[in-house]
Amino acid sequence: MEDVAAIETRSLVKRFGNIEALKGVDIRLERGEFFGLLGPNGAGKTTLIRILTTLLMPTSGEAWLYGYHVVKECARVRHLIGVVPQATTCDLDLTARENLDIYGRFYGLAKKERTEQIDYLLKMIGLEERSEDLVATYSGGMRRRLEVARALVHRPSLLILDEPTLGLDPQSRYMVWRLLKRLKDDYSLTILLTTHYMEEAEALCSQVAIIDHGKIIAVDTVEGLKKSVHERDKVELRLEAPAGVDPVTTVRTLEGVKDAGLKEGLLTVTVENSQRGLPAIFEALRKKDVKIQEVRTTHLTLEDVFIHYTGRPVRDEETRKVSFFIGAGVPRKWGR
Amino acid sequence: MRRLIAIIERDLRKFLRNPLVMVVSIVMPIIYLLILGNSFLGELKHLPVAIIDRDGGSFAERVIENLEAIERGPSTIATYRVSSEGEAMRGLKEGLFKAVVIIPQGFSKHLVKRGSAEVGLFVDNTDVVSANTLKTALLSALGSTAEGFIAVRERAEGVRVRTIEVHPKIDYDQTLIPGVVIMAIFLGALTTGVFNIVMDRFLGTDESLLLTPLTRTDIVGGLVISGLVITTVLALVVLVLSSLISGIYLWNTLSPSGFVGVVFIVMLSTLSLQGLLFIILGRADHPRVVGVLGGFLNVILFFPSGAVYPVESFPYLLRLFAWVNPETYSVHALKAVLFKGAGLGAIKGDILFLSVFALFTIAVAIATFKREL
Repeated sequence: MEDVAAIETRSLVKRFGNIEALKGVDIRLERGEFFGLLGPNGAGKTTLIRILTTLLMPTSGEAWLYGYHVVKECARVRHLIGVVPQATTCDLDLTARENLDIYGRFYGLAKKERTEQIDYLLKMIGLEERSEDLVATYSGGMRRRLEVARALVHRPSLLILDEPTLGLDPQSRYMVWRLLKRLKDDYSLTILLTTHYMEEAEALCSQVAIIDHGKIIAVDTVEGLKKSVHERDKVELRLEAPAGVDPVTTVRTLEGVKDAGLKEGLLTVTVENSQRGLPAIFEALRKKDVKIQEVRTTHLTLEDVFIHYTGRPVRDEETRKVSFFIGAGVPRKWGR
Repeated sequence: MRRLIAIIERDLRKFLRNPLVMVVSIVMPIIYLLILGNSFLGELKHLPVAIIDRDGGSFAERVIENLEAIERGPSTIATYRVSSEGEAMRGLKEGLFKAVVIIPQGFSKHLVKRGSAEVGLFVDNTDVVSANTLKTALLSALGSTAEGFIAVRERAEGVRVRTIEVHPKIDYDQTLIPGVVIMAIFLGALTTGVFNIVMDRFLGTDESLLLTPLTRTDIVGGLVISGLVITTVLALVVLVLSSLISGIYLWNTLSPSGFVGVVFIVMLSTLSLQGLLFIILGRADHPRVVGVLGGFLNVILFFPSGAVYPVESFPYLLRLFAWVNPETYSVHALKAVLFKGAGLGAIKGDILFLSVFALFTIAVAIATFKREL
């Protein structure tokens, strides 16, 4: 059983009426991975998550979690997974401790086990002091951290998070990131997360799948994805060059430089890697007594990768308009 | 079992955090009592009346003819010839008859000799509306019997009707108490149980329930049981308060077995309504649906239940509806226990119907509950 993947899907298809939310998705997620599912709104991320978490039935295709079939063995699957849904699903009328305790009982945990685990989790998410307050009094970030804790009450093998930092302020987002990193490093949990924040995927995920229009377009590490895109970092330098010195020829021969151009005192250099390329460029220009007044570097980001694969930026809003016409019931199922 | 109890506890805790809901659930049925108690009027029809003729004379025949004339004409009453008094009185207690007319032996003879005679009239006064109508109708029938006679004998007293009220005197407000309790049960059932699933769905919190290993039975059963606890308490509080308002001191009038009967009927009625509402509203995802359908269901279940208007006076189709309406049985049983001092034996038919109804609807509710999003 050692080679059983944490998640494996085979040509998953999900239709809502005429809309095909998933058009044959195949993914494989190894144990211990931190996997990011990256895509714009309406790409099918939430639909995929809901099928994997037994909340929706696939129209066709199959999926297994740790070798258990998500439809035929849904009861086993539910014990294996901890899920942080997109919306806040904790009971606002209950305290944090009550939320965690009742949830633990849903999994059939005995009292002693629950109490230990809950004390531990409350400490981990930094809500010990507020644990007896109603969740209604919590901030968005606190609620999200509580959701993460609740997903871990029954010690799942796989943690699934649907847009865990959506709508959070930068500080709260950072706290959630730190929590997730700790879970990954200290407990070697397998984590699947959906996001449409590039920086989130870059900061957390060891593997990233790009999903768009219900299809997986690319799967690789963040670095691997970047390499697959034939674009390079850009360095822009505002210069004051002495007469007779051509900055373009000066830098063009340097190692790693792919291209260079000068326009109105602004030298634009395309390099393999700006971090390694810059010192060499500085050195060469200084030797020719070129004065550097201003430097700006542009890194290749996952956003560039996304545009490369899908032809549009990740936060494209076109899908919103589509869901407007579908009617009230559908978007919820369709999700983001 | 641990999971089911967790669902119940979650629901009860959430309920107790909103004391306003509790207050409203108690106050509203009592306002109904005050408003309905003073405003409801209507023409009655087909009130069943048992007739026992111990006389067999010509004047007795004439009394019966007059009663049958009312039956054929304005149809206020439906007459039934009954041979034994025991049978008639049992029928009255069980709600089969609204009144019993007994024409005593020697009625015709007395009328001829003394110019006056007495007819025994037993009225089910737990149903004040029909009791009053019955008295008026029967008096007119008996009065005209005398007129026919007076013309010959020139005597003025005529036939005196002695009304014997079978049960302790009950005011109009008091007869509405079973209806008020049923209203409280309906409101309780509507704002617990299935409503919580609709709210969870509306707020999106159902997702977290469905992600866990909870079964359909855990979810539906847990919500029904917590709703049962809440509603039973509310309904009993409403019963005590509305009785006090109408001047009944239940601790004096209700026997221990009667109290058990009331609690039993309240619980079974709650379960029946919970099950019914779960089937109807089980897939709703907006509280507004509950509001609209709830208001509608409240009216169509409440008015044909016999709480304010006797079931016997309904047109045929409505009577059929009343026959399958759980509230009809609840009202009947509550009236029997609260006002007629009936024990569990007299309401076993109601208990049987409500038990079967509750079991069936809850089973269907569990089977049709959608375990996915």
